Amino acid sequence: MSGPARQSVSGAAVMAAFLRRDLREALTYKFSFVSSVTGILLSSATFYFVAKLVPAGTPSLGPFGGDYFSFAVVGVAFAGLLGMFQEGLAAVVRSAQLSGTLEALLVTPVPVPVILFGSSLYSLLFQVVRTALHLGVALAFFGLALGRVNAAGVLAVGVLTVLCFLSVGVLSASFILVYKTGNPFSWIMGTASGLLGGVVFPIALLPPWIRWISSLLPVTYALDGMRKSLLASASFADVLPDVAALAAFDALLLPASLVAFRLALRKAKKDGTLAHY
Amino acid sequence: MSAPSVLVAEGLVKRYPVFRGFRDLILHPLERRTVTALDGLDLEVGRGRVFCLLGPNGAGKTTLIKVLATLVLPDGGRASVAGHDVALEPGPARNAVGYAVSDERSFYWRLSGRQNLEFFGALYGLGGPARGRRIDELLRLAGLEEAADLRFNGYSTGMRQMLAFARALLADAAILLVDEPTRSLDPQAADRVRAFLRGELAGRQGKTILWATHDLGEAADCADDIAVISRGRIRLRSPAASLAAGGRASLRQAYEQAVGESEEKP
Repeated sequence: MSGPARQSVSGAAVMAAFLRRDLREALTYKFSFVSSVTGILLSSATFYFVAKLVPAGTPSLGPFGGDYFSFAVVGVAFAGLLGMFQEGLAAVVRSAQLSGTLEALLVTPVPVPVILFGSSLYSLLFQVVRTALHLGVALAFFGLALGRVNAAGVLAVGVLTVLCFLSVGVLSASFILVYKTGNPFSWIMGTASGLLGGVVFPIALLPPWIRWISSLLPVTYALDGMRKSLLASASFADVLPDVAALAAFDALLLPASLVAFRLALRKAKKDGTLAHY
Repeated sequence: MSAPSVLVAEGLVKRYPVFRGFRDLILHPLERRTVTALDGLDLEVGRGRVFCLLGPNGAGKTTLIKVLATLVLPDGGRASVAGHDVALEPGPARNAVGYAVSDERSFYWRLSGRQNLEFFGALYGLGGPARGRRIDELLRLAGLEEAADLRFNGYSTGMRQMLAFARALLADAAILLVDEPTRSLDPQAADRVRAFLRGELAGRQGKTILWATHDLGEAADCADDIAVISRGRIRLRSPAASLAAGGRASLRQAYEQAVGESEEKP
């Protein structure tokens, strides 16, 4: 039998293979896309009617264009996206542990970080599409009030936010590699962000004694910068404080997450629990 | 002259931490309890040999294979694959072996056999028409041509095992690690797997195979060399021909003696 024409493992080919695998699997679940779109429509409709209870010109909404529906839709759409970035990597590790595919992946020549990112790529891209759809539906059917969009602000806040939440995702994945469940990053960043990060109401409404916690959460700056850039016709200078805060989070979390992942992988290999669940 | 060794373990030690409950952790927070899986194990497997590793449950067979596959880091000693230290050069070591992960959960159940191989083939650096040709070749070799486009969840246990071999062969590594490949197979399927490993992979393709099994007859029929592992050490090692010369009964006697002695003198 002839041997294969084995090439060096190209990152792009590996990413394409992961995407193809996940797309093929997703296509075997015929109703998942339909239920996802239905969920977006129902969520938008719910906030559309809730917004009728909030008078236009409410002071706390002033910095974000003044319209509650637009404020909430942008918050919910982007919080979903950020949630996927912070949970996605841990979710794929957990899923591979539970399904039993982790060992088979780890004996291939592909570096572990590439496996991790590749495994979550489809979910991340799908969530990007879902977010765009969410905003599109809100714009087309419910009157999402976009301002003069600050593309540079959206881009800067978006890139820094993705790096920040991917770092949190790597920290979560590191925890799951070693401890399997009970991921504290998910609780801190997910649950706390929902309440304190200004997803569906401005943090200005929070009592001052708790509001300071919001300033420790990256989601606060991500949503603030994104809303100002999309809804309030803010200039780049207006979102600079958010950009600076997100850059500081990145500078801290990115190296910390890479070190944590290396240590976690070593510990799991040392304890022989890499594929345990 | 004997074949050069491509799998080597020298004084290999592996201890796993013992799972402890909350009460134990609170009462003895600094205590570290371990169970020894490999206890200074020495082993050499020559190129092109079929090396069967016999031993009772918990003897250390799977741990040894996982160390050689770079999935578990040793605590002491060293192990190398094709000259690459598994702890210091895990990448090249991994490239040198095909690990036939027998766990049927290691596949994507909603994809077909071919789609599974396409995915893993890409991870092994196979691309374009070469990947398709290689997969067709392996599916034919594994007797899965007709089932290639069926979903994996429709495969029998024997077919799943053969697909695991096909996956391990994607990169055409010269060394194969197989862990109890005939476990849970019916006698005919087990015979097909043995014939495939011994006849095709070792006989025709000249691959080196480290083969963990509980089945003494399987070892006698298929191996060039046999070792008995118990309590983390090799207790007996011999060419299969001399061990099996006295028939199955003498092999069984040698096995039981090696395991029994290790239990008396751990």
